Amino acid sequence: MTTTARPSSERPVRPRRRITSLEVLCGVLLAAVVLRGSLASILDVPSLRTGATVFVAVCVQAMPFLVLGVLISGLIAAFVPPAVLRRMLPGHTAAAVPVAGVAGVALPGCECASVPVARRLMQQGVKPAVALAFLLAAPAVNPIVLVSTAVAFPAEPLMVLARFLGSLLTACAMGWLWMRVGKAGWIAERALRRFEGGRTTGSRWVMFAESARHDLVEAGGFLVLGGLTSAVFNVVVPTAWMHTLGGQFVLAVLIMAVLAVVLALCSEADAFVAASMAGLPLIPKLVFLVVGPAVDVKLIAMQSGTFGRAFAARFAPATFVVANASALLVGAIVLGGA
Amino acid sequence: MRRETQNVLLVLLGGALLKLALTGAYLRYVKPSLLPWLVVAGVVMVLLAAFAIAHDIRRAGRDANAIGDAAGEPECAGHEHGSRSPWMLLLPVFAVFLVAPPALGSDSVRRAGDVVSTPERSGSGAMFEELPQDGIPLLSVSEFVTRAVWGDDGVIEERPVRLQGFVVPPETPGAPVRLARMRISCCAADASPVRVDLAGRAAARIAELPADTWIEAVGTLRAGTATEANGQVPTFELVRARTIPVPSKQYEY
Repeated sequence: MTTTARPSSERPVRPRRRITSLEVLCGVLLAAVVLRGSLASILDVPSLRTGATVFVAVCVQAMPFLVLGVLISGLIAAFVPPAVLRRMLPGHTAAAVPVAGVAGVALPGCECASVPVARRLMQQGVKPAVALAFLLAAPAVNPIVLVSTAVAFPAEPLMVLARFLGSLLTACAMGWLWMRVGKAGWIAERALRRFEGGRTTGSRWVMFAESARHDLVEAGGFLVLGGLTSAVFNVVVPTAWMHTLGGQFVLAVLIMAVLAVVLALCSEADAFVAASMAGLPLIPKLVFLVVGPAVDVKLIAMQSGTFGRAFAARFAPATFVVANASALLVGAIVLGGA
Repeated sequence: MRRETQNVLLVLLGGALLKLALTGAYLRYVKPSLLPWLVVAGVVMVLLAAFAIAHDIRRAGRDANAIGDAAGEPECAGHEHGSRSPWMLLLPVFAVFLVAPPALGSDSVRRAGDVVSTPERSGSGAMFEELPQDGIPLLSVSEFVTRAVWGDDGVIEERPVRLQGFVVPPETPGAPVRLARMRISCCAADASPVRVDLAGRAAARIAELPADTWIEAVGTLRAGTATEANGQVPTFELVRARTIPVPSKQYEY
């Protein structure tokens, strides 16, 4: 053993330092502050300015709901042991699906709140089919959304019932569908791993704070991605489209469904947008209201971030089809040929 | 991404929300009732990050005592590697602190084209509230358009009222200049315009103003001008108008 330090033997012991993300962040922040003037001038185009406003609006509007979602998710992680959840839900998965759907009434807020909660439920041992039913139902059947739908359609009280039933049916149908054909392998392994943030010796509050923080950072990034997509569509899609559809029923349904996905409106506001579309029959409007909270670009981004791309690539299209079918079925029964 | 970086991002994002809430700039993006939620969300973000930072520092201290080497990734680096999505959180931070996009204006009105967006009548069958007896009452553009569309027995055809909104210059020569407001029900993503065409001698001068100039206009409704054919945009017989500073609440709700 020699004590002489030779350069060649020193290298593996002290490897060249890698640039850490913290340093990258500092660099990016500095660059942004220095280039602020040119950044502002790039955005001085009317359409880009409009897009930027919509982008900030979507993010600002959704963040409080996401925070609510991650706090609830953190509370479940820290204080609700899996055994309690098992006792609360019917043992039979097929029966637990509608129970979870109706339980969505208790989570007032936008769809962004339900993604972290649904994942937490899965981690705590709730069957994926049940958690997914909750995920789809919560944003659409809660009292705030139903009340705003009633306010938006003062002349059509049945719209509220139709929306409630359509969304609940979508959630249950997707839950049951997942039971039959869903594979656990589609859900990214990281989504189901129980979060062991902090020390195992840490208190429950440490666990609560750590899991909430972790969810917020992860889901927040995808929420921003979804907000960006929706802002782009908001500016690019000519809204004049949806007002020239009056006569063509099938086309109207299809376009409204696609618009619900790409515009990613918050579920408390979409009823007002649908109501303002003059000359459109009620059923396409119902499709818009049922599809929107179940599948939109913001949700797809958050789902692929939380549950993995393999999951989102199957779940989102399936939900789209099921939500359309549910809305048409419920619309035909409740609203008649309107 | 390292935990430290995530924490810094959270502090920045929470700070951005608080900045919007405390300066009142949030009114450009969302409805006023969201204010308490924004404050709570911002505070929670900062607290969660501060808690994690304090936790890490204490633990680093402990580890340093135990092992004598506090360098290297914190313990949970394992399950956080490879995730790049948190970088996206920088976008709203930059947008809020560096760009601060303005409230939607004439560009959105033009973009909407001739979309018919009739405001619903508040309460089915109820008559409109009576205008105050004296002075020139200030109506929201939404209320003016609603009265024009649903008919308020000719009250606003007789009585001059005041409207406040921004100028949308004519796109084609010969088209009327418009006064408009954006209406939102949740956030700026669901905004739709309410507008009136300005007519009368004073309107020519308004058409010269740059887009998005805020004005207060005094005038009356020209009877029967809000029709299905023109997207239910009533014509406002302008008596006089003056420019006003941009109000804090630029949207109608």
